[in-house]
Amino acid sequence: MIPHYYQHFCPVKILSGHNAVSNIPYEMDILGCRRAMVVTDKGVADAGLINLVREAFADSDKEIGYVFDETPPDSSNRLVNKLARLFEREKCDCFLAVGGGSALDTAKGANIVISEGTDDILSLQGNEIIKKELLPMIAVPTTSGTGSEVTKVAVIYNEEKNVKMAFASDRLYPRVAVLDPRMTMTVPPKLTAATGMDALTHAMEAYTCLQKNPIDDVFARAAIELIRKYLVRAVENGRDEEARLGMANASLLAGIAFSNSMVGMIHALAHACGGVCHAPHGMANAILLPHGLEYNISGIPRPIAEMSGMLGSSIEYMEEKEQAMVTVSLVRNLLGRLNQISGLPVRLRDVGITEDKLPAIASAAINDGAMAFNPVEVSYDEALEVLNKAY
Amino acid sequence: MGDVLKRSVNLVRSLPGFPAFQSGVKHALCSTVLSVLGPAFEVVGRHVPEFRKEIESWEDGRRFSLRVLPKGPAITLEKRGDTIRYLGKGLKSPHITMSFKNYDSALPVLMGIAGTHQTFAENRILVEGDLAKTMEINRAVNIVNAYLLPGMVVKKVLKRAPEMTLKSCINKGKVYAGLVPAVVRHLI
Repeated sequence: MIPHYYQHFCPVKILSGHNAVSNIPYEMDILGCRRAMVVTDKGVADAGLINLVREAFADSDKEIGYVFDETPPDSSNRLVNKLARLFEREKCDCFLAVGGGSALDTAKGANIVISEGTDDILSLQGNEIIKKELLPMIAVPTTSGTGSEVTKVAVIYNEEKNVKMAFASDRLYPRVAVLDPRMTMTVPPKLTAATGMDALTHAMEAYTCLQKNPIDDVFARAAIELIRKYLVRAVENGRDEEARLGMANASLLAGIAFSNSMVGMIHALAHACGGVCHAPHGMANAILLPHGLEYNISGIPRPIAEMSGMLGSSIEYMEEKEQAMVTVSLVRNLLGRLNQISGLPVRLRDVGITEDKLPAIASAAINDGAMAFNPVEVSYDEALEVLNKAY
Repeated sequence: MGDVLKRSVNLVRSLPGFPAFQSGVKHALCSTVLSVLGPAFEVVGRHVPEFRKEIESWEDGRRFSLRVLPKGPAITLEKRGDTIRYLGKGLKSPHITMSFKNYDSALPVLMGIAGTHQTFAENRILVEGDLAKTMEINRAVNIVNAYLLPGMVVKKVLKRAPEMTLKSCINKGKVYAGLVPAVVRHLI
């Protein structure tokens, strides 16, 4: 069905393949940049991945001005202000974010602070509030899940007010996304599984949520099919370069899809699990995915049924709801398989969530922005019921 | 006959000044509906327990505005005690502003043709301020819509229409009865 109205936008140039990182200085040249600030975290630096980036600059007139490797798992307003000051002090002219969602969001946050000329990033939260052109940013993801390299969203933790601030703007898209399989080779199996399921959740919610549209459907379908083909392979053998590149592409495709189609109740619940109990986002998504799909079957059985084909099932002559349940059970099978080979948790109780926290999670989830895009209404009681099932 | 009508419409549309006239009509429509919606928050707050329950956790003094870009009408409301007060037209230092991109984005919602969730999904509305609080406001708007619009329309514009018990229907009657005096009070 063609939606009444939709928008699609993705201005990101994509470089994908072996040694893709080597092209970064050339891309900086095209962007008119000379001195990059690398934003990353200790884990990425310790894994030697920044060395791969440095090597790319060896025979170039472009340079790395500064390597900021102190990004924590949750970026904060204090941190982005500090990074913005460093950027100006080091006279850099573009961001080179190398890492997972947090490193990329930190670079996006600092970019907002610099471009808008403010140290009060709180005043810019909301959607499409950022008015000024941002500095060029090149994103090199080191996990295959968040899709941040192609999304227009940044989430920054406000330390004073103890809340997560969400920024959404077409100006927040990086200019270039670089997918190099070498950058994800060192990710351990359990994290590979969790981030892969995060990407699957992005794709499946993009395919089923209110802003579903023909363009993003194509991206979501391609992402789901790549995940079916490569996720288990990448978890079983992290050195499988083809599987790593397949998953990096799946994550990117899912990112494009959900940046436009948005995500729904599964993400709203997972965000709340993270906010209340610090449950890892990918794992919470993985656990909640089959439960969220099952909940939404009552309102949108058809798109959920269609996804069974993308996950490898043949379409039988079943009722839509029956076929949709096949999708749910295929997701459960995948989750079970990942649990066997990597220890990926399958219940909320296994990711540090205690039963007494479920009401607080349900309250936070119904106020999450993602809930607005869920195709079926979710009340507090219903959110709590889904959480109890997943617990 | 159809062709004649089409040609006549095209002729009217090509008249100089028609776009400005059309824009004026849209402005008047949006302005009128917002003038009703503002007081409706107060009236629904008085008569509908689930509305009061929805807003009870809001901090006192939370101000929010609805407006139409680029130069359309706006209203501002504020949480005070256990209800919402309509502060009148215009932006009055709101903490959260929900802005429709243009009249064509605003009219379907204001005329009860589309729901707010659809408007969000279609990128027809911009939000300045805390997105979590915007979700709370959105739920309150939905309750107001449920008590303001006829049942058939409510089923169309909300993801799920609330169950209307006998008590809810009586409350809906009270909202209708209280609405006109409330609108008039704010006009004078």
